[in-house]
Amino acid sequence: MATTFRSSDRTSPWRHVDMALVGSTFLVSVFGLVMVFGASRRYESGASYVVKQSAFMIIGWALMAGLSLIDYRRILDWWQVIYGASLILLGGVLTPLGSLGDYGTKGWYALGPVTFQPVEIAKLATIIAVAAYLGAADRVDLRRLVVALVMFGAPMGLTLMQPDLGSSLVFIVVGVGMLVVGGVDLRYLVALALVGVIGVVGILQSDALDQYQRDRLTAFANPDGVSARARYNVEQAQTAISSGGLTGYGFGRGPSTRLGYVPAQRTDFIFTVAGEEFGFLGAGTLLGLFGVIIWRIWRVAQLARENAGRLLCVGVMSMLLFHIFENVGMNLGIMPITGIPLPLVSQGGSAVVAACVAIGLVQSVHMHRYA
Amino acid sequence: MALDTDSTHIRLSAVGVVALSLFLTLFMRLWFLQGIDRKQFEAVSQSNRLRVIHEEAPRGRILDRNGKVIVDNKTSVVVSLDREPLRKMKESERDRLFVKLADTLNSLSVPVKVSLIQKRFNDTRYAPQDSVPIAENVDDSVEIYLMERTDEFPGVLVERKAIRTYPYGALAVHVLGYVGQINDTELAERGVTSASLSTSGVDSTTTTTSEADDDVEKRSDYRPGDSIGKSGVEQAYEDDLRGVPGQRTIEVNARGDLVDVVKVDPPKQGNDVWLSIDIDLQAQAERLLESRVLSLRGRRDESGNRLNAPQGSVVVQDPRNGEIRAMASFPDYDPATLVNGISQEQWEAFNDPNSGMPLVNWAIGGTYAPGSTFKLFSAYAGLSTGYLTGANAVMIDNGVYKIENCKGEKCEVQNAGRTRHGRVDLARSLTVSSDVYYYRLADKFWNLREQFGETPIQDAAKLFGMGAKTGIPLVGENSGRLPTPAARREAYEARPDLFVTGDWRSGDNINMSIGQGDVLATPLQVVNAYSAFANGGTLHQPQVAIKVTRSKDVTIDVMADGNTELVRTIESKTKSTIPFTGDHWDQIFRGLLGVTQDRGGTAYASWHANPTAWPMAGKTGTAQVRKKADSALFVGWGPAQPGIPPEYTVGVVIPEAGFGGVVAAPLAFQVLQPASNGTLTPACPLSDTTACDLAALDAINKAESSSSTGSRD
Repeated sequence: MATTFRSSDRTSPWRHVDMALVGSTFLVSVFGLVMVFGASRRYESGASYVVKQSAFMIIGWALMAGLSLIDYRRILDWWQVIYGASLILLGGVLTPLGSLGDYGTKGWYALGPVTFQPVEIAKLATIIAVAAYLGAADRVDLRRLVVALVMFGAPMGLTLMQPDLGSSLVFIVVGVGMLVVGGVDLRYLVALALVGVIGVVGILQSDALDQYQRDRLTAFANPDGVSARARYNVEQAQTAISSGGLTGYGFGRGPSTRLGYVPAQRTDFIFTVAGEEFGFLGAGTLLGLFGVIIWRIWRVAQLARENAGRLLCVGVMSMLLFHIFENVGMNLGIMPITGIPLPLVSQGGSAVVAACVAIGLVQSVHMHRYA
Repeated sequence: MALDTDSTHIRLSAVGVVALSLFLTLFMRLWFLQGIDRKQFEAVSQSNRLRVIHEEAPRGRILDRNGKVIVDNKTSVVVSLDREPLRKMKESERDRLFVKLADTLNSLSVPVKVSLIQKRFNDTRYAPQDSVPIAENVDDSVEIYLMERTDEFPGVLVERKAIRTYPYGALAVHVLGYVGQINDTELAERGVTSASLSTSGVDSTTTTTSEADDDVEKRSDYRPGDSIGKSGVEQAYEDDLRGVPGQRTIEVNARGDLVDVVKVDPPKQGNDVWLSIDIDLQAQAERLLESRVLSLRGRRDESGNRLNAPQGSVVVQDPRNGEIRAMASFPDYDPATLVNGISQEQWEAFNDPNSGMPLVNWAIGGTYAPGSTFKLFSAYAGLSTGYLTGANAVMIDNGVYKIENCKGEKCEVQNAGRTRHGRVDLARSLTVSSDVYYYRLADKFWNLREQFGETPIQDAAKLFGMGAKTGIPLVGENSGRLPTPAARREAYEARPDLFVTGDWRSGDNINMSIGQGDVLATPLQVVNAYSAFANGGTLHQPQVAIKVTRSKDVTIDVMADGNTELVRTIESKTKSTIPFTGDHWDQIFRGLLGVTQDRGGTAYASWHANPTAWPMAGKTGTAQVRKKADSALFVGWGPAQPGIPPEYTVGVVIPEAGFGGVVAAPLAFQVLQPASNGTLTPACPLSDTTACDLAALDAINKAESSSSTGSRD
């Protein structure tokens, strides 16, 4: 019964748009804009943040749409170029071309009024590159494992040099996710885990990290032993969220938000706006929408019909999952403070565009899996 | 091509499980915070953003017994510096601000020098966290101007506060006392600690209104920087006078800027305290005392001692209930100088003995040898022990008494000026103030101590309240001193190097019997003792206030109908009763009445020169002090007529002044003269004090046409 036309129709990307992914991403994006507005309305120039964020949203969505239409395999074919370029960008930020950002980290390029963070590109580029490299073979032997580790290690090292601890952790999490699903021998994984634990302990013991980084990392576990500023951030965030209760104070009425008690509220601590003004219902809904996004990506990974596409999805999923858990976790006081944005919600162009691009890639896997 | 092995799916599922559990963790934590821990964090949120600003209430007013306002309030607009933010500024930046502030204030016709602002900024008198005033009582327009430009003047505050005003100036200042900033000790006494301050939350301030009694718990709604009564009635009736502080709850943002006023509890003015003092009589006493003291100064007595009259006191009491009608202590001070705190130099000047120590209320804090006024107690002892009966009651006074069983040179004691008084009984001994009569009594008492005990005279004096505080509710009261053989022994045993002997001898008894030696008394003690005699034996605890009221509208007259509501009455208190048997009271009374009414009386001449409308009884005293001029005393009461209750007891004590009959007695009579015949002139309000006082003095001088001559002692 199936005609050639119908058969080709069945493989047409247009028939395989994951509307749930699009819908949940859209809702989170809108939610994000509202939150940015909520966090910045107390400033006279508050509206400008919303306008700027909206502009990036539009760019991000355009890229998402564009990428989803392109067969992801075409993109993976360019992995060496993409990966190489991203490393150059990431390395260049350490040169005088880069600008100083928050906490004295050097992770920005300033192009006139627009700034962007190359690490956002590097995360995606690394996912693409590793997916393409590992996906090209049937099994991950020791040689491929080592190469993959180096591929994660290079951008991670450059990121640490900024130093941006939070973003460099993303590479580890993404690496673990992709290597596990990529089929690396369990023995190797166990060995890597051991090395990792020893490494982390070693880093915390050594002088490799600045005091403020160590403080932020250990604030949640040891509230008495850290700097007043780190403790203040955590306390204010928890206070704002908790006092929101079940239904919140209502938009524009949360005292901590209204009076500016939560530091970095447009960016790192934007989840507090949802918690305080919309309460458990609002913050829970936001978490739920993120859950839907993660679930849909996981589902695309399962549906993927080849290794590279699946690894691409797992990489994006690991990245977003870590962003969400780490960011919301630090807002709730159960994770250390790192400067990791909440995808699609935290104000910041690079992160928004990167999140859109990542989801666009996943959509592409979904749409082109029969191609 | 796809690697659809089981292994991959298992691994992917594992990743899914990890993702799911991470989300569950976030949800649980979110629920824990918002559902379970909410209350606790809500409180944190409130303490973050809500500040409670404590606003002191205006104090209640102080009125005289007839409702004349003696202490009032006025609103003062104060420009002050909040030094906390100023300290954080760069020095150059701060200097520029001070110059700008001075310029601005000067252009608003508030003369303020930059140097003054600098000085106040560095002033250590104020606690570091307290704001320091740089201009007080400024115009409302200054307030408006600065309030509109708070950004330009960081750390500059404009506050309104109620401050004390004194319509009668320094009148009754020692009774009124003064108000000052509460200190750490006073805060601690009232249970206010830094802990209790920080825990007093948004709308909790406990107020325990209580009576001014010592045993009642004190109010604790104080904060550092608050005003508190430091002395006098301001201190004694603090809990009545202090109003209920108000609170403004404001919301501040993270930078500490005011965003909103959430709640306002306006302060409630304190209650009015009515004094037992009659301000008109007080004015009479003060102006006479001052003019008498000043006229004495610089003169010399017969022995060539200078009459320094460093201080003086007049006390007028109602013997029927112990209420104080007037209490004058010279020198005085202008209470207005203490309204805004006192400088170190001023404080030292106030406490310099050469200035007469004007802060001291000498009427309750000064102790003097009571001299012959003490004979009342010796007489009572002689009568109540039964010694002065029959033949013992009468003697011939040759002006000299030889101490029994005495060997050596100093065995003869004499009357003042060796005056012979001839045949003397108890009444006569008081009227003419025979010393010899009491020398003999005291000598006999000591020699017969097996029979009368060691301390019959002290016991009598004690009954009249000597040697103990009267309990007047004013700080600074002295208990005086009543020497006893036992106390003498104790003192000697404690410090043998300080005393020649620890023995009590006849001579000590003799000295004490006429109010010399180690006896010391405050003017109030003597007055209170004579009041007790005058009223037939009731010893009162002197009171300075009669009632506490609350005015519905403080801007209209307290006497206006329906404006005033009684809070409580302050009852007079009886301390004890002095027993009199037979004709003992009458014998003493006759003697004391004779002092003014008998030709031989020591105050006969001075009373007749300044007669009151009714006869007065009393006793003069001229106490000797080593190397100084004598202290002049008089204490008496009137009306002193059988069947008519006495209305006034008056006491005058001026040290280094001369004879009691010459210096003190006329003053006492002049004080009561207009009150006795209904011609008391109103006290002079501050606006025309000098002219008014001069006129009043003039009137007194005219009445005093025949010059004052008094007897010795």
